[in-house]
Amino acid sequence: MKRILTSIVMISSLGATGAALAFNLNDALNKLNDPDTQKALGIGKKMLESAKEISEPQEIDIGDGIASNLLGAAPLVRDDALQKYVNRIGLWLALQTERPNLPWRFGVTDDADVNAFGTPGGTILITRGLYEKFRNESELAGVLAHEIAHIVQKHQLKAIKSALGREWQADIAVAVAEKKGNSDAKKSLKAYTAGTELFARGLDKGDEYEADRMGVVIAARAGYNPFGLVGSLQTLDAVNASDGAVALMFKTHPAPAKRLEMLTAAMGTQMDQFGDSGKEPARLYVLKK
Amino acid sequence: MRPIIFTSVVLAGLVLGTAAFAEPGTLLKADSLRAKPFGDAEVIGTLKAKDKVDITARKGAWANVQIPAGKSGWIRVLNIRTGSGKSGDSGVGAIASLFKTGSSGNTVSTGVKGLSEEQLTNAEPNPEEAKRLSKYKNTDADARNFAKQAKLSAQQVDYLPANGGSE
Repeated sequence: MKRILTSIVMISSLGATGAALAFNLNDALNKLNDPDTQKALGIGKKMLESAKEISEPQEIDIGDGIASNLLGAAPLVRDDALQKYVNRIGLWLALQTERPNLPWRFGVTDDADVNAFGTPGGTILITRGLYEKFRNESELAGVLAHEIAHIVQKHQLKAIKSALGREWQADIAVAVAEKKGNSDAKKSLKAYTAGTELFARGLDKGDEYEADRMGVVIAARAGYNPFGLVGSLQTLDAVNASDGAVALMFKTHPAPAKRLEMLTAAMGTQMDQFGDSGKEPARLYVLKK
Repeated sequence: MRPIIFTSVVLAGLVLGTAAFAEPGTLLKADSLRAKPFGDAEVIGTLKAKDKVDITARKGAWANVQIPAGKSGWIRVLNIRTGSGKSGDSGVGAIASLFKTGSSGNTVSTGVKGLSEEQLTNAEPNPEEAKRLSKYKNTDADARNFAKQAKLSAQQVDYLPANGGSE
C-alpha cells in the first residue's frame, strides 16, 4: 500500500490533473500509458511499471530465493558442458522476447522426474528425466521457450501474489527494507516458500496454454523448427500417467493431449512455413552416463 | 542384486532404443498420406480417424509414418495422438501415483529419486548450488555466436492468439 501511496503522491506532484489522478489510480495509469501524456509529463515507462507492480530487481530477488529452494530439492547435474550448452540455447531464445535483459540462467537438475521450472526474474531449471527424453535440440528449445514465456508474462509472480494475498505487500516491504539495511542475515521471504510451493500446485491452466502458444513462436523467432514443443508434448502424452516420474508434472499441468489440442487450434497451419524453414541442429548434447 | 538391476537397465535401453525409431500413434482425423512433407505433395494414400501408425521420423510440421499395410508417407504431426487416447485427462492416475512415490522411489536405473511434492515443499535453500548455477550464465554475444554456428537466424514472428479448443 505504501508503494501505491508514494506513487500517487509522486504522480500528483508532477502537476497535470493531479486531483483526478489521485482519486483513481487505474484511470490515472491508463491515462499515463498514453505516449503524449507521458511526453508532456516527462514520465518514463519504468516509473509506470513500478507503480503497477513490484520492481524488476525485486522480481529477480524472489526468483533467486525460489531457485535456491529448488536446487535444495535437487542439485545440478555435474556436467559443465551440459550446463553451458543449455545456457547458450536458453539465452539465445530469451533474446528473442520482450525481456531480453533479465539475468537469464538455465540449468539441468539431477532429478529422475520429468519436469521443468521457471522462476520469476529469469531462472529456468529442467530435470534430467525430461532432458533425456528430447529427440533433438528443437525439442529442448521448445520446452525452454515455454518456460521463458511464463517468465516474460510474469505468470509465476501473479500466482505467488494471489497465494500470499494481503501478506504480499508486507513481504515485499521486508525485502525493500533489507535491501536498504544491507543486512547480512537476510530473512527468508514468504514469497520464496510460496513460490516454491507453487510448483507443487501448478499455475493457472490458461497460463499454461498461453506459454505453449508463445513457446512455439519464441522457438520460431530463434530460427528453430517450432514443432519441437509439439514433439515434446507428444512424448509426454505417450508416457503412462501412472509412472511416478511424471506424477508431479501431470498434477500441475493440463493433460498433454489437451495442451496439444489447444495448441493445434491456435497454430492452425500458420506455423508450417517455419517448420519448413526452421532448423533442427544435430548437436543435442548427450548426457554422460 | 546389482547384476540383475544392471541387466534390466541394459534391456530397458534396448527396448527404448527400438521404440525411438518407431513410435506408435493414432490418427485424430482422416488425412491424406503424402509422398513428401509438404501440403501440396503427391497424395499416395488415405488414412481414417483412429488408424494406427508408427512414427519413424519428424520434419517440421510433418511426421513420416508407416501404416500396418506397409506403406509409408507423410502426415501432419499435429494430427497424431501418441497417448493411449483412453481419456483426455490423466489426473486420476497421476494423483494415485503420488501416493506411491514417497516410499518406492521412481526409477531404479538412475539412482536418483524423483522429486516428490513433499520434497519440493520442504526444500531448504541451497545457496552453494545457486552460485554454481550463476557460474554458467553466459553473455549475449556467446549465445548469438552459438546460434550462428548452427545457422540459426532470428526472424520476426507474431504471437498466436488463443483460438478455439474447448476448456
